[in-house]
Amino acid sequence: MAHQVHAYHMVDPSPWPLTGAVGALLLTSGLAIWMHFHNMTLLTLGLILLLLTMYQWWRDIVREGTFQGHHTPPVQKGLRYGMILFITSEVFFFLGFFWAFYHSSLAPTPELGGCWPPTGITPLDPFEVPLLNTAVLLASGVTVTWAHHSIMEGHRKEAIQSLTLTILLGFYFTFLQAMEYYEAPFTIADGVYGSTFFVATGFHGLHVIIGSTFLAICLLRQVLYHFTSEHHFGFEAAAWYWHFVDVVWLFLYISIYWWGS
Amino acid sequence: MNHLVKLPRLASRAFSSSARQLKNKVPESQKIFQEDNGLPVHIKGGTGDVLLYRATMTLTIAGTCYSLYWLLIASFPQKKE
Repeated sequence: MAHQVHAYHMVDPSPWPLTGAVGALLLTSGLAIWMHFHNMTLLTLGLILLLLTMYQWWRDIVREGTFQGHHTPPVQKGLRYGMILFITSEVFFFLGFFWAFYHSSLAPTPELGGCWPPTGITPLDPFEVPLLNTAVLLASGVTVTWAHHSIMEGHRKEAIQSLTLTILLGFYFTFLQAMEYYEAPFTIADGVYGSTFFVATGFHGLHVIIGSTFLAICLLRQVLYHFTSEHHFGFEAAAWYWHFVDVVWLFLYISIYWWGS
Repeated sequence: MNHLVKLPRLASRAFSSSARQLKNKVPESQKIFQEDNGLPVHIKGGTGDVLLYRATMTLTIAGTCYSLYWLLIASFPQKKE
């Protein structure tokens, strides 16, 4: 058997990039077909294919790192760069929606009544549920840091407890935000206020759900002894993502909920 | 009084976190995935892997054909009712 003389990871040929690409094709064409012909089959197929691809691709990465030992220090460095670049791209994604919000709110048009919030809009009180949501996410930032230190110090039970608490706080935020959405006196169709509010907070909520899912996978892996005190990059990536989600919320809270009321 | 002495030991055995702890199965997985059998990582786990791969690839090919079918339908002018 030939052995490599370098520390890098030459990945086995994999079908998941192809299945993922076809999944994206089905999602996009499925969306068009749903809108024009009221048929959801293509869209549903695309969603299933995307989920199957994500599960198998990430399962394989766990196998390559934890079971085959391919994640040497140089490889881990590359993974770190990758995660940082991905989060940076997400920052730019949200920057667009903040741009849209400030464009409309800094110089409100006569059609809105020349004021912000526009005439007829009753904004949410920033010192009620939104403030609680801020506290919940800040607390979850503390608990995820606690979990990291527990993993680094080899305290298995503490790591499981603090990670579980982090995920529960994430669920609590999602629950509170869902309640707010249900009770809000305005909708996404209420002019540019509704659009900017629900698109920006909506995408943030989606990222909270994604982040909570990532942390839940990390919890499962911690329970299964995948992480060591020196090597637990999957958890670090999830923690970075979670802190990013927290920071986006802080900007949302200060701009849209507080200044924007 | 004697039977009460045994109570703390019994209680800790019943409620101790080590009573139901998961065993570390990572070394077993490491053995399976480091076996020199030439299999790529996405099917190296066994029969379950192969079945899931086949199901995924079937959906991939069927889905591609289905999207081309809809493309054909959508490219023809729609009858106005």
